[in-house]
Amino acid sequence: MKYLLIVTTCFLAVSFSANAQKIQKIEIQTSAVCEMCQYTIEKDMAFEKGVESATLDLDTKKLLVTFNSKKTSPETIRKRITLIGYDADSLKRDAKAHSKLPYCCQSDENGVPFVDHGDDHKDE
Amino acid sequence: MKNILFLFYILPLSLAAQLITGTVQDNENEPLVGASVTIVGTTTGTTTDIHGQFELNASPEDSLQISFVGFQTKVLAVANRQKLDIQLQPDTELEAVTVESSATFIDELQPIHSEVITEKELLKAACCNLSESFETNASVDVSFTDAVTGTKMIRMLGLDGKYTLINRENMPLVRGLTSRAGLNLVPGTWIQSIDVGKGAGSVVNGFESMTGQINLEYKKPETAEKLYLNAYANSFGRTELNANATVQLNDKWSTGILAHTDYFAADRDKNNDGFMDLPKARQINVLNRYKYMGDRVRSQIGLHVLKDQKAGGQLGFDFGDDTSTSDLYGYSSETTRAELFGKFGLLFPEAPYKGWGLLYSLSYQKQTSGFGRRSYIGEEKTLYTNLIHQNILGNSFHQYKLGGSLLVDLYDEQFADSLFARNEIVPGGFFEYTYLPNDQFTLVLGSRLDFHNLYGIYHSPRIHTKYAFGKGTTLRAAAGKGYRTSNIIPENNQTLVSSRRLVVEESLQPEESWNLGGSLVQEVTIGSKRLNLTADYFYTIFENQVITDMDQNPQEVRFYNLDGKSYASSLQLEADYKVTPRLSTKAAYKLYDVKATINDQLQPLPFVAKNRFFWNWSYSSKYDIWQADLTLQWYGKKRLPDTSEKPEAFQQQDYAPDFTNINAQVSRAFRWGNVYIGSENLLDFRQDNPIIDPENPFGENFDGSLVWGPVAGRVIYFGVRYKID
Repeated sequence: MKYLLIVTTCFLAVSFSANAQKIQKIEIQTSAVCEMCQYTIEKDMAFEKGVESATLDLDTKKLLVTFNSKKTSPETIRKRITLIGYDADSLKRDAKAHSKLPYCCQSDENGVPFVDHGDDHKDE
Repeated sequence: MKNILFLFYILPLSLAAQLITGTVQDNENEPLVGASVTIVGTTTGTTTDIHGQFELNASPEDSLQISFVGFQTKVLAVANRQKLDIQLQPDTELEAVTVESSATFIDELQPIHSEVITEKELLKAACCNLSESFETNASVDVSFTDAVTGTKMIRMLGLDGKYTLINRENMPLVRGLTSRAGLNLVPGTWIQSIDVGKGAGSVVNGFESMTGQINLEYKKPETAEKLYLNAYANSFGRTELNANATVQLNDKWSTGILAHTDYFAADRDKNNDGFMDLPKARQINVLNRYKYMGDRVRSQIGLHVLKDQKAGGQLGFDFGDDTSTSDLYGYSSETTRAELFGKFGLLFPEAPYKGWGLLYSLSYQKQTSGFGRRSYIGEEKTLYTNLIHQNILGNSFHQYKLGGSLLVDLYDEQFADSLFARNEIVPGGFFEYTYLPNDQFTLVLGSRLDFHNLYGIYHSPRIHTKYAFGKGTTLRAAAGKGYRTSNIIPENNQTLVSSRRLVVEESLQPEESWNLGGSLVQEVTIGSKRLNLTADYFYTIFENQVITDMDQNPQEVRFYNLDGKSYASSLQLEADYKVTPRLSTKAAYKLYDVKATINDQLQPLPFVAKNRFFWNWSYSSKYDIWQADLTLQWYGKKRLPDTSEKPEAFQQQDYAPDFTNINAQVSRAFRWGNVYIGSENLLDFRQDNPIIDPENPFGENFDGSLVWGPVAGRVIYFGVRYKID
């Protein structure tokens, strides 16, 4: 029993440190337009395997993703973003998923939102 | 003949959806652009435009949730309004995510003090049917009725749930012969939300609401998930499968099917009294409805069928065994029910305050039970229709609802060798006027007259008023009268699992009561945290009540009309506090004073605890990926029926001791659904010897009806939910 505990502890320590080295960050340019999009993307990323955190900067529309490269890859993450309904760097959004987004998050083919969100009203 | 499905059941159509417009502003009256406005419990919603304005189709009974990043999410009822101007307060925590609905909330605009239990709250108590849906709610008490049938009953304001009008989408649901067993026949996974209204209800829904009304909203064809699957199992061996599906047939028609089955067949006897702690049970329950959503016409029609079987009593008794010939003391129950129901609504897009609604329901239900050597068969055919017209008087400050209803109940009952039949035909009419001069004040005056073929005229006046003082303080008051006819055998099933003889002393008259009460809700902000304080007090007084007397003689249960006094006074204090954005707690204390003249003496009703304490902790991680809940309930001592004339060995104490019950659950969400694990009665508290003299079930001292606490011990359960939106 005692040995088992020691072995387990060592194993855990090793795997933690191993994992720690695999944490990477990437920035992905998305086609998000509003707070609703931000919520949708960040929430979906919370359920994505290997993603530790994801925050979207609404000014630049860039998504900062912290992930474990042992469990996922930038390609997988970009692909997932297109399936949520947004462009991810050079990958185009999935049209069907996009059409299911809240109206305020939708845009035409050229990326012009249907709803004019105006300038950042929160800065006033 | 007896199996002909008479499905007919009509209920008030919530005067169908209408166009709601409004604006959303911040605390400085600046429009909020892109704020999300959704109908609670659905995915229907919109966002505000550049002027902060929105338009949305919603029904008066819907609640809207308005959220915007950086602001506190607000939920309010549509009620009678066509225009809603909403102001959101900045979220001082600057929490990045505000699109999180609260689990329970007090409906802000309703003049009736009502709590809405959302689907999120319902998920906190994963098992299994309506009787268990109130586990995280302090206003409704749930308890076992006896040691054999496994039936759970609810109490509101200290009184039996039979005095609460339980509706499904404003049509009567749990009443008549299944007013007790009916809670078990509503699968939890069908429910989208529950509205618990305390005190007198609206006259639109009939005369039967005496202590309150509970309205269930089922999952709707046009808004529910395309597919929802749930599997559940617990440590006792109970399994359950639920499947819901919806199909949008075209832009106007949709259909939804709700299906449930459960199975439990273990001989489980943890307290070693030779009796199963819970009966074996199996059920099949299916509802299908079609809905049409046009611009001028809204309509739906549905069919609901179910079959429920139970087999309990001494170990070894099984499904299909005959209690009257078995050597074992058996309990058997078979319930079948079929219902055809629908609604029809006429809208006037050019005059959104105006509408016509017709609700109808035709139902047949049959209950066959055996309790040892005694057997009961009850059949009930019900027709319900309600026609409602809604309009304004001059301007929208004055609104009214006017209508008529017809309720027909045909009862045929057989108990032991006695036959009872009763045909009730009750046409009625109602008028309800609402004065809504501003956002602060609401006054609702209602009156209804019903003409009962057996009991004459029922007059039910009702009044509700609400006043909001400035910020965060709301006062409500209500008064009203209610009536109902009692069905003593199905409502007192628990007394049949005993050697008690049933004695009906006289011809029983309809029950009649007044209810008066009110509530005060105060929102307090402590630093950046919000504390909601609620105090409510309701007083119910009976002009007539059918008294169930188990005190006069321990070998009998006697029924007679109230001769003396009967009242229930209920005080509830509740505090709801968000400790952090992720952790909230709710504590409630209740003080009941419920007394009636029983056996010529004004005394506390048996089995009602004078004091009750409730404490819930709820944690959810970001995006509700993890959700954990812990609910503690403490019940004070309860009076037990007098057993002093029994032989000494079989006597019970005068008062049952207090006890604590803890339920807990943890769930983990995934994109496809979630998994959960939980426990009920975590402390494994059980009433010792819930059955008196279990060795001699056919002897004169046998009594399984003196139950004041949990009979079954700790149960651990787990389950999976899968959904496609």
